[in-house]
Amino acid sequence: MINYVLRRLLYAAVILLLVSMAVYAIFQFLPFDPAALTCGKNCRPNLIAANRVRLGFDKPVWEQYWLFLSGIFVGRDYGVGSAAFSCPAPSLGYSFRQNACVTDLIKQALPVTLSLAIGALILWLIVGIGLGILAARFKDSPIDTGSTVFVLIGTSLPTFVTGLLLLIYLTLKNNIIPLNFDGYVSIFDHPSKFFIYFLLPWITLAFAFSAIYTRYTRSAVIEISGEDYIRTALAKGLKPKVVLRKHTLRAALAPLTTLAGLDFAGLLGGAILTETIFDLPGLGRMSLKAVNDFDLPVVLATTLLAAAIVVIMNLIVDLLYAVLDPRVRVG
Amino acid sequence: MSKMPQSKRFGRAAIATSVAAGLVVSGLMSSSIGTANAAAGPKTGGTLILLEHTPKLDHLDPSRIYTGRDLAFENSFFIRTLVAYNPVPGAAGAGLVADLATNTGVPSNEAKTWKFTLRPGTTFEDGAKITCADVKYGVSRVFAQDIITDGPGYLQQWLDLGKVEYKGPYAKDTAGQAAFDKAVTCSADNRTITFNLNKSVADFNYLGTYGVISPVQAKLDMGDAYDLRPQATGPYKIAENTTNQLKLVRNPKWSKASDSIRTPYPDVVVMKFGLDEQVMDQVFLNDTMFNAVNFDGPLPANKDAFFSDDKFKDRRINTNDPYSRYLAFNIKKMPCLEIRQAMYYARNAKAILDYAGGTFFGGSYSTGSISPLLGLDYTPTKVVGPGSADFDPKGNVVKAQALMDKAKTSCPADYKKATVDGIVIDISQSVTLQDTIPINTAAWARVGLKVTYNIIKSGYYSTVLNPAKQNDLSNSGWGADWANASTVIPELFTLEGGFNLCQNGDDPAYKDFKAAVDVAMKTTDRAKQSDMWKALDVKAMERMWILPTNYGKSQYIWGKGVGGAFFWQPQGTLAWGKLYIK
Repeated sequence: MINYVLRRLLYAAVILLLVSMAVYAIFQFLPFDPAALTCGKNCRPNLIAANRVRLGFDKPVWEQYWLFLSGIFVGRDYGVGSAAFSCPAPSLGYSFRQNACVTDLIKQALPVTLSLAIGALILWLIVGIGLGILAARFKDSPIDTGSTVFVLIGTSLPTFVTGLLLLIYLTLKNNIIPLNFDGYVSIFDHPSKFFIYFLLPWITLAFAFSAIYTRYTRSAVIEISGEDYIRTALAKGLKPKVVLRKHTLRAALAPLTTLAGLDFAGLLGGAILTETIFDLPGLGRMSLKAVNDFDLPVVLATTLLAAAIVVIMNLIVDLLYAVLDPRVRVG
Repeated sequence: MSKMPQSKRFGRAAIATSVAAGLVVSGLMSSSIGTANAAAGPKTGGTLILLEHTPKLDHLDPSRIYTGRDLAFENSFFIRTLVAYNPVPGAAGAGLVADLATNTGVPSNEAKTWKFTLRPGTTFEDGAKITCADVKYGVSRVFAQDIITDGPGYLQQWLDLGKVEYKGPYAKDTAGQAAFDKAVTCSADNRTITFNLNKSVADFNYLGTYGVISPVQAKLDMGDAYDLRPQATGPYKIAENTTNQLKLVRNPKWSKASDSIRTPYPDVVVMKFGLDEQVMDQVFLNDTMFNAVNFDGPLPANKDAFFSDDKFKDRRINTNDPYSRYLAFNIKKMPCLEIRQAMYYARNAKAILDYAGGTFFGGSYSTGSISPLLGLDYTPTKVVGPGSADFDPKGNVVKAQALMDKAKTSCPADYKKATVDGIVIDISQSVTLQDTIPINTAAWARVGLKVTYNIIKSGYYSTVLNPAKQNDLSNSGWGADWANASTVIPELFTLEGGFNLCQNGDDPAYKDFKAAVDVAMKTTDRAKQSDMWKALDVKAMERMWILPTNYGKSQYIWGKGVGGAFFWQPQGTLAWGKLYIK
């Protein structure tokens, strides 16, 4: 098991290295001069040339890449004279658009996105799996029909529509959930403010995802309920509830784990629309701004971070698989 | 220079400085709706919330701010400058008043030397006294153009550094520093700062309203990073600057006795960043936040909701913005006057203005390069736009065709380029601009003009300001930096100007034009100088160095709990420092 994990971590490191190379290479082919992007409206050829040297864009691509890579482990220094400064390790570069080390920007944004994703995940798993089980258990009943309607609406409405509707009707018009532009607060500092801050974003995301999970769970439970071993268990006199919990769900949850892992990883990369509508300063909004501003160091860092999250979540999902399904062995 | 930003920001406005100018402005602003809601007197206390769409302001470092809105915000709350505009409604707001200085500047040597004496009792937020050395150091920073980017470039043009290129205080630049130390000097008591200029600049003191001439403590300068946390000199200081908000709290070191301009009513000022524009509008439509102000304007789709409902009659302003919008001809590539004029006459200006919301929300047809908000220096040129002989909002196709026919023989190569090869127009990536492409293309096609568009996704101005990269026409806009067309005509139409997109140095009329500009710059009689700018604007239009399009409008909305809102003409935005919570 330990060897397996170590091997997977090694693979993950190789994948991330390749992703970083690919992203770096893509930036080299973009029709933009990164030096010109750093000096705003007053850019003149001499300033662009000076910035190119100051920021290291005058160096060969391989050397720039090496500086970026080594910065992760030893930090990076920028500028000269009294304007010199450094970004300590792990340095993912410096954003001249935001005048900050990229790692610091990520440190600010990651907790927001993490809180959003974890809360939404919990909510959509509870609602999606719960409703899916109910729909399967009471197949063709009004509950099943209701779940179908829920699934249809949930999968049809894009998150920016759901989010805006919730915000307008629950907050702005009726003040059921107070408007909160106060910014992110940690759950450990202000639990109530934290929940108020994230409630609508969680519902917005969970609404879309739980619809999908309802459909998956329903299908999986119905399909597995027809398996021989389930019939055997029932024939042996086990109570249906016990069969559902111990046998049916265990088998049904394995593929859902993979799905949830990847969806969660995707959200950690940034739920751009939800973060924008609800003014959440998370990774998604940061990435969007970076793309709009052509803030290449931030784009590079967030892309790498997203890739790292996907790789790690894949590993976690594989390990969980072994726990959920005894037939699966890792190693 | 105050080029029009690519986002929907407001640059610094030009304004009226005389009664006559005031009449012009008030005439133009007759469509404005809403004024100050000052029925009850101002109150102290509360939290003022400014809702902003963008994830952050471009800059907080005073040396790097150039847009009027951001300058007005900063100057209202936490950064003081040597002189400032008087935050009062109407044309009176254009008047300069002393801020950190004891007066609005003393010129000598034919306005080549300017002196400002600092008033006593002014301090930074850490209690350190503001000295001449601090102002001088702040000025020196703007020369480090690779680090202190984006601010106005007048100091680099005007300070008498000889032939030395000063690189700012961060680099080891002994010769440059010595030249700078001669150009900017401090008195023995460290209270009077003297600027020695390389030419007469009669209105140099207006530059003193910008943060490029403001104090910075050398020991606290962090180069780039000073942008995140500049030291306050005004009544508020930065308590928090995050990705979510900028929070200002009272600066206990600020003394009301040393500041005759500011009236800091709210206890706290918070700017919320990155809000969805639709959500922002809904906040006001539903009266969810009484103490909030929309730092941007409302969305086009919601303007009717705000401006047709009496509920908002005391909480809205619809006014002319300071920008004159235009397409700059690259004269090196478009030397044929007839073709340039044909493009002007064939264009369907009405369709474009209708797209922008008509005259109520969109603005008015341009009559030259100088905005009407410049008041004293503005008059319709009668060469282009309303009042000119051949102006037809939908396009004067007959006139345009006649010019094209003439071009066929007078400049056949250019004619071929315009009708066969195609004229290339630079525009920035913008939904609004791209939506107008079919309208313009169809209009020009009426006289056989063929155009293609070069959409520049990033670094628009740095691209088009590069002569090697600029195409035949470049879309742009310009607002005066202060109430003088000295920040318009020379900037746009002379080679020394910071925003010469015309590349008009080879035009037959350029030499005389430049000579006239030099005379106007030296003229200290403001009325005479004003006449000169007007004449030069006429000349520029006759030569069609730019294709003027329209003067824009902007709208403001605020919550029912906010009082004191009015349009601050010289800054082209609300007077943020006068807002109070009812």
